[in-house]
Amino acid sequence: MNIATVFEIALAAVVLGLAIWTIAVPDTYSATVGFIAYGLLVALIWVRLDAVDVALTEAAIGGGLGGVLLLGAAARLRDTEAMTTEGPSLIVRLSAAILSASIAAALAVTILLLPDPAPTLAPAVVANAGATGMTNPVTNVLMAFRGMDTMLEKVVLLLAIVGVWSLASDQAWGGRPGPRHQADPNGVLAFLARLLPPAGIVVGIYILWTGADHPGGAFQGGAVLASMWLLVIMAGLVDTPPVRSRWLRLILVAGPGLFLAVGLGGLCFGSAFLAYPVAFAKPLILSIEVAMLLTIATTLGLLLAGAPERSAER
Amino acid sequence: MTEFLTAAVGLILAMLGLGLVSILRGPTDADRMMAAQLIGTAGIAVLLLLGTVTGVPAAVDVALILALLATFASIAFVKKGLSRLETDGADPGEDR
Repeated sequence: MNIATVFEIALAAVVLGLAIWTIAVPDTYSATVGFIAYGLLVALIWVRLDAVDVALTEAAIGGGLGGVLLLGAAARLRDTEAMTTEGPSLIVRLSAAILSASIAAALAVTILLLPDPAPTLAPAVVANAGATGMTNPVTNVLMAFRGMDTMLEKVVLLLAIVGVWSLASDQAWGGRPGPRHQADPNGVLAFLARLLPPAGIVVGIYILWTGADHPGGAFQGGAVLASMWLLVIMAGLVDTPPVRSRWLRLILVAGPGLFLAVGLGGLCFGSAFLAYPVAFAKPLILSIEVAMLLTIATTLGLLLAGAPERSAER
Repeated sequence: MTEFLTAAVGLILAMLGLGLVSILRGPTDADRMMAAQLIGTAGIAVLLLLGTVTGVPAAVDVALILALLATFASIAFVKKGLSRLETDGADPGEDR
């Protein structure tokens, strides 16, 4: 057993221990912070498993945006939690534990029962990598070989934002999400919100661009852009846009819309829905990804900003 | 050189474990969040070293994303947790 294996075992043990603590700790806020640290460590494990694309997503969503979403929820729940005197009953807790444990057990059994070697399409993906002109197999699968799934996922993002907006009260409908943030214009936060976003925007676009041949892609790049946008909003430098705004809705449908248009073009001029002409495969995929980068960044930012709370006039 | 870098990974992982102890102990939210930030920084260092040791250059990109989003998470913690800090009587006025 070499030293690297020892590290891996230690890392796995630490992640498991942290996961159990996150479930067991009674305070919501502590559990959230534990979950953020858990996301960071899981990203390390994905890198160790050579799944860098997954590690990028885990770092962006698990440790970053998802953690911030949960922090906001925990801060909001704090007042109501202080008022409720009794938690869920023992039966509720037991049945939740049994349900979660049986799902985990079912997943474990499925993985253990896989034939050896496990059935895989990876060789086929590698063999057909030349068809799109891109060498990152994950991007090839997401954008070309299983493009249909990716398109439907973007529609799910749209549904999510519709769900969040539908929580708005009647008076606030069409207004701006979240509170109006105010901070000292000469303070540290406003300074950071001017300093960091230029670098962050470059990193976001770089992650999209490098996704053609190396780990990366529109979702991870979009998550970085969304966090930079929210940083500027939280520093009070700009306000959230009103949800009735026309350009905002255009950006929200740009990604899935262009994807659908290219797909229908494949039906008219090519052999099947979403069939890219070989000569134009890479430019087409890249333009879809650019549109999706904007859509994903806006959608993730608005999901974290929450339901409209103020009318647009104020 | 690889042995040296691997040893460095081990040392940082040990520090990361100490940060986890701090998350578990608390006692306040701010302590926990500072520990989470420490783990984020340690994670960036481990990723950069791992990328060099195992020859995965893309690990640098993961470190880049972690660096940006860990900053963002700590700011969100201060903004979201501020109302509570105010009720505790600590430094009102920066926000709101």
